[in-house]
Amino acid sequence: MTSRDIIVIGAGQNSLVAAFYLARAGHKPLILERRPVVGGAAVAEEFHPGFRASVLEGFHGPLAPAIANDMQLERHGAQFLEGACRLCAPHPDGRALRLHADARKSAEAIASFSKADAAKYIELAETLRSASGLVQDLLLMTPPDIDHPSSADAWNLLGAGRKFRRLGKKNMQRLIRWGPMAAADFVAEFFDTELLRASIAARGIFGAAAGPWSAGTTALLLLRCGAAGLPGVGAAQVRGGADALSNALAAAVQQAGAEIRTNAEVVRILVRDGAVSGIALSTGEEISAKAVVSGADPKRTFLNLLEPVHLAPSFLQKMRHYRSSGAVARVLLTLDGLPAFPALQSLSEAERFDVLASRIHIGPEIDYLERAFDASKYGEFSRAPYLEASIPSLLDPSLAPAGKHVMTIHMQYAPYNLRSTDKGNSQREGTRARLSAEAASQAKAQRLASAPSPSNWPAQRDALADAVIKTVAEYAPDLPSKILARRVITPLDLENDYSLTGGHISHGELALDQLFTMRPLLGFARYAAPICGLFLCGSGTHPGIGLAGASGLNASRQIARSLRRS
Amino acid sequence: MSKSYDAIIIGGGHNGLTNAAYLARAGKKVLVLERRYVLGGAAVTEEIIPGFKFSVCSYVVSLLRPEIIRDLDLPRHGLEILPLDGTFTPMPNGDYLWRVNDHAKTRRELVRHSRLDAEAYDEFGKEMVQMCRFVKPLLAMTPPDPTSLHPGGLRKFAFLARRFQSLPAEEKYNLVQLMTMSAADFLDQWFETDVLKATMSASGIIGTFLGVRSPGTAYVLLHHYMGEIDGAFRAWGFSRGGTGAISNAIGDAAREAGAEIRMEAPVAKILTRNGRASGVVLQSGEEIHAKIVSSSVDPNLTFLKMLDATDLPAEFLEEVRRYKYRGSSGKVNLALDALPEFKCLPAEASAKAGHHLRGAISISPSVDYMERAYDQAKYGEFSRRPYIDMVIPSLTDTSLAPPGKHVLSCFVQYAPYKLKNASWENRREEFGNAVIDTISEYAPNLKNIIIGKQVLTPLDIEEQIGLTEGNIFQGELSLEQLFFLRPVAGWARYRTPIKNLYMCGSATHPGGGIMGAPGRLAALEILKDLGAH
Repeated sequence: MTSRDIIVIGAGQNSLVAAFYLARAGHKPLILERRPVVGGAAVAEEFHPGFRASVLEGFHGPLAPAIANDMQLERHGAQFLEGACRLCAPHPDGRALRLHADARKSAEAIASFSKADAAKYIELAETLRSASGLVQDLLLMTPPDIDHPSSADAWNLLGAGRKFRRLGKKNMQRLIRWGPMAAADFVAEFFDTELLRASIAARGIFGAAAGPWSAGTTALLLLRCGAAGLPGVGAAQVRGGADALSNALAAAVQQAGAEIRTNAEVVRILVRDGAVSGIALSTGEEISAKAVVSGADPKRTFLNLLEPVHLAPSFLQKMRHYRSSGAVARVLLTLDGLPAFPALQSLSEAERFDVLASRIHIGPEIDYLERAFDASKYGEFSRAPYLEASIPSLLDPSLAPAGKHVMTIHMQYAPYNLRSTDKGNSQREGTRARLSAEAASQAKAQRLASAPSPSNWPAQRDALADAVIKTVAEYAPDLPSKILARRVITPLDLENDYSLTGGHISHGELALDQLFTMRPLLGFARYAAPICGLFLCGSGTHPGIGLAGASGLNASRQIARSLRRS
Repeated sequence: MSKSYDAIIIGGGHNGLTNAAYLARAGKKVLVLERRYVLGGAAVTEEIIPGFKFSVCSYVVSLLRPEIIRDLDLPRHGLEILPLDGTFTPMPNGDYLWRVNDHAKTRRELVRHSRLDAEAYDEFGKEMVQMCRFVKPLLAMTPPDPTSLHPGGLRKFAFLARRFQSLPAEEKYNLVQLMTMSAADFLDQWFETDVLKATMSASGIIGTFLGVRSPGTAYVLLHHYMGEIDGAFRAWGFSRGGTGAISNAIGDAAREAGAEIRMEAPVAKILTRNGRASGVVLQSGEEIHAKIVSSSVDPNLTFLKMLDATDLPAEFLEEVRRYKYRGSSGKVNLALDALPEFKCLPAEASAKAGHHLRGAISISPSVDYMERAYDQAKYGEFSRRPYIDMVIPSLTDTSLAPPGKHVLSCFVQYAPYKLKNASWENRREEFGNAVIDTISEYAPNLKNIIIGKQVLTPLDIEEQIGLTEGNIFQGELSLEQLFFLRPVAGWARYRTPIKNLYMCGSATHPGGGIMGAPGRLAALEILKDLGAH
């Protein structure tokens, strides 16, 4: 049995970032990736002959600044493409709202809807800019140890505290008040235009199993907008698709001295005398190591890769309750030419190109977004979903044959636990049951039989795609006629193909009770698992959003520190 | 220009009266001004139908602070709390869930639904008591301001931090979850029986415009657990003579301490002289002067109606306008000729005839039912099949109805204050019927035994009781409107930007329910300032 210094499970972006910094700290990490390619969920695939697209998120939010410099990704072949337009929201009435990186430019566009809103937009952008330093600090901070805060924690918090005080009383009070609010309430405090409200509120629900009226969604909105600035969306696209970035990260990691093995699936984390001793691969091969860093999501790490005996029952129970049921699906289309959006006909050729290359937000009203969410609460996918579509082949022709295009669509809400469509057994209340234990247990069995389950997805994947295409077609009527092929990625696929437990793209729900010191669990938010030598570095740890790679960066810092100590 | 007082209290609700009682006991010359002909505000008993006494709005008591009961010696002033035994939830499939104060009985009942839940239920109860123990001191604490470096405030935060520190890991975990999660998610971790989760989650949404799956509702769940009668957490009760009797008892205590209470004396304006409150003007035009004015009515009435915009800083006004009320509930009070018969448990079948009717009766058959009720309200419709919390106080307190007859009091959620393209004026009947139809599905004889009814929409609650948008808590109990954020960040310490003007109503920490804590805490702050004068 070979022996290694550190083993990193999974070659997702956070794993690669963590491995890079550990290598720089003088370690020799071995990264083990189950799939033939690196990148985890950040991959592009040729989903149809001649057509490539990023399977999951196609845009990259801002990388943690340190990462970009330290890993010199451009030198390793990552070529960032970025249009001026960040987000375009078409409205059924034939108008379209365009938001740019430059707040003033956005304000001009907003002015044609409402002068007041344009002014408010600038005000909000200013407020967010003043808070961005604080947000960055929070995102790149190791959550304090709530049981025995160290002097370092105190210092970090003090630092954040000072930045906080610098915001001034009014903004301090606003931030405290905003955090737990519903995104719908937040945007209503600034804007009157429904389309604008919905476009901004969407930052609070993107990727989450929550609607704009769910409390706490403003916290997500603020983290995203604080890190990326309004409108709070990642804008950079990498030539060749998401995996080009992953490959650049991998190159940097290897150059730093880490080793990457693909097609190497870890099936067990080995523990001896309460400490991690190594891992076992699906091939049966065992590799021993001083430390194991898991880029897999918390549930997979603790409930699948570890023998339960190594963890406290209370910890296991809490981990089972960690909410990681996703509500996101993806639809990839190959197009025989660009779809025509009537709402964009008035634009110049260049402008239209710019807009189509950005995020096309479909969700014209707060209520529209909330209704889309409602369906998912009862185990059904939205028939009128909230969508974010983009045509990456515009900025990056290498993705499709000449004249043809790919369209990637992020769809919400598609609940992981889906109700079966045949009404027969679904949620039928038993007729007058006898008041006996048997009756109750029968009723229970019946309920369980009809309970929503991911196993219902294969039967409804096409219905989902149809609903998505129909919805886009309301804004681009000629879209269906242009579709050559389509690929649907349901939450079940996300779980099976990309080993995201519950199909959650962020390794766990982004809600107040699962952020910061509570991500993944209160008392275990400092990247160290309750087993000596085992660490987490994936999105299931703080921050999980806002800055790409931040979880890996934060984790590597903690890991290096604790390895020095031991 | 008439005689002058130390303090004028606007509004004779239970908080205004508590505030007055504490000030009077400290030897201050106090005048309470009540707009209506009865005392109590939302804690009021009225004989709407001859012979039938309704607790028109607030209908059960549990949160009333024990220190207030002691300090004001309320029992001597006629306060008598009668037990409200258990919660009965009828189910559409003909089954039911009936939890009573008798632990063994409840356990047997839960086992009938789920053995696991029966086990978890005890654990859960213990945990919640621990949580309440932790949060309780907050109810007796004037909120510190996190944005100021005032040593007193910092000390309070340090105190809270230390207490949190000292909690066992398990309890830390539960506490942060309660502060951040939705009631449904929180309960999902403990129980598997849908009807149990639904009924328990109900106390997480009362008075808020949130669904049982909305984050933040777990806290409201705790808020209602905080109820304390004779030291027992989660014990709810009736007050003999209806909730109005509580207000009257506090009123008597205030009068005994020397406070003067004037009925039918609606305040029109708060008088200010160079940035200081100096008294009030009644709608009659009469001016009354006082050293301080303490308002128990909500911020909307206090700052936007009784003061001129020019009296207040623009930023403060902006925040006051932003403060969310969003009444989400209505009330239906019925005079009954006989008792309703629930088909899932007819009176004669039940262990002790009709015993299950002596507690709360909850229409909350499933979590989805609760959530769907909310979904309709979100888009400006009242729930066709609402969550209903019913009590029949006349079973416990015979003074409320003629012999053999009964009063049925139904708290109904959701009824949004703002209806989409419709006015409550012409929807009231429909709303009342929706409630009666819903109950009739479980108790078919209801329609035949109704001899009188009172339907209160959020609009009625606003107009009759004076609660803006009909919010029973004088403002939503949502996370961003609690503790040092209630009602306005920076102004959670019962003071206002106007010197000598104070807030003492449910819109201040710790919020709504017949608790009296805001009135008491405000009085303590006022006395500090008056002492300083």
